[in-house]
Amino acid sequence: MVIRATLVTLLALGAAASTLLAQRTPVVRGINGSWEAYPLRGEGFGSGVPPKTPVAAPQPLPEPPLKQPHLDQWRATQARNAELTRKGLPPPSTGMACIPEGMPGMMQVTFPMEILETPGQITIIQEAFTQVRRIYLDAPPIAPQDAEPRFSGHSTGTWEGDTLVVQTVGVKETVHFRNTPHSMNMRITERMRLLNDEIMQNQVTIDDPEYLTKPWTWTWMYKRWPGYKIQEYVCEDNRYFEDPSLKYQRLRVN
Amino acid sequence: MKLRRVSVRAAAIVIALGVFSVSSVWAHHSFAAYEPSKQIKLSGVVTEFKWTNPHVYLQIDAQESTGGETKRWLIECASTSILNRAGWRFNLVKTGDKITVIVAPLRNGEPAALLKQMILPDGTKYGNGAAAGSATIQ
Repeated sequence: MVIRATLVTLLALGAAASTLLAQRTPVVRGINGSWEAYPLRGEGFGSGVPPKTPVAAPQPLPEPPLKQPHLDQWRATQARNAELTRKGLPPPSTGMACIPEGMPGMMQVTFPMEILETPGQITIIQEAFTQVRRIYLDAPPIAPQDAEPRFSGHSTGTWEGDTLVVQTVGVKETVHFRNTPHSMNMRITERMRLLNDEIMQNQVTIDDPEYLTKPWTWTWMYKRWPGYKIQEYVCEDNRYFEDPSLKYQRLRVN
Repeated sequence: MKLRRVSVRAAAIVIALGVFSVSSVWAHHSFAAYEPSKQIKLSGVVTEFKWTNPHVYLQIDAQESTGGETKRWLIECASTSILNRAGWRFNLVKTGDKITVIVAPLRNGEPAALLKQMILPDGTKYGNGAAAGSATIQ
């Protein structure tokens, strides 16, 4: 009985201490606010305002290190799509049906994104398709087999010093970033870090032993866009449709 | 110094175009169906202005600057947020307004085109965002 009472008291003290600790941990680490893709795209796509300290542009994304026969299939798809595009017959895409990019595509920030830092959670809102990701901080990791398949997956994060490390699992198998297939065991690791007050780096690594020979990794960069208010974007009517016989995108003119 | 800053910016834009001009930019669809090098000028009356996503559309009863018959044209613009950032507003034009547009027509000959520039009666010009490209004729 005494032991039980002591245990309860200790647990209560522990809970109180962790609450105090949580209150002392700063909620905001300075990534709050609106961001656009860097290098800048301008002319309606972004602010067009160069950073005070220009930072070298990230390297273009490498080819996905797919296992065979996926790599050959991927290369064939890329070649066919490039050829169709050259002929003015754009290949079909999920966007035709107003389907959002999902992860990791939404983090390439084709349209601006907003980051909200709140206690225990970081929320990222991508303007295009009004996509939202919720990153639960210091939460128990989710096993891929327990994760309900979603476009944005399930994300947990931790601050390692000045770097926000985010793990994402549970991305739907139909979400093909750059036409790349993946399994339900795919894991996305992002390491986000401010390079200076205006530029944030996101080192992305995709692990998927079923499909990849080695991790697929690249870097994206974002520039802070002070004062930009994210706009509504509901994809309500895409006038493009797949030509049933020729399998390319056509515009509904009338 | 100023020149240097401009060239850094130009370099950044060139890099950005190189990185992003691949299919992924246009998650919604590509602009490949439009003539890549041909541009025409149309003048006419707005019959519909649809402020929607993924793209905004203008429908106009218009005639080419070189003459010919008046046809109903469908003009594709960027998304609402890109246009807002480029200075447009949801009520910038309305049915019945007279406008002039510089556009790249569809390659297949249907009366639809990608907007490069819209010119209002007072001479104000509006672009259509970087991905759609700018006007090369006047």
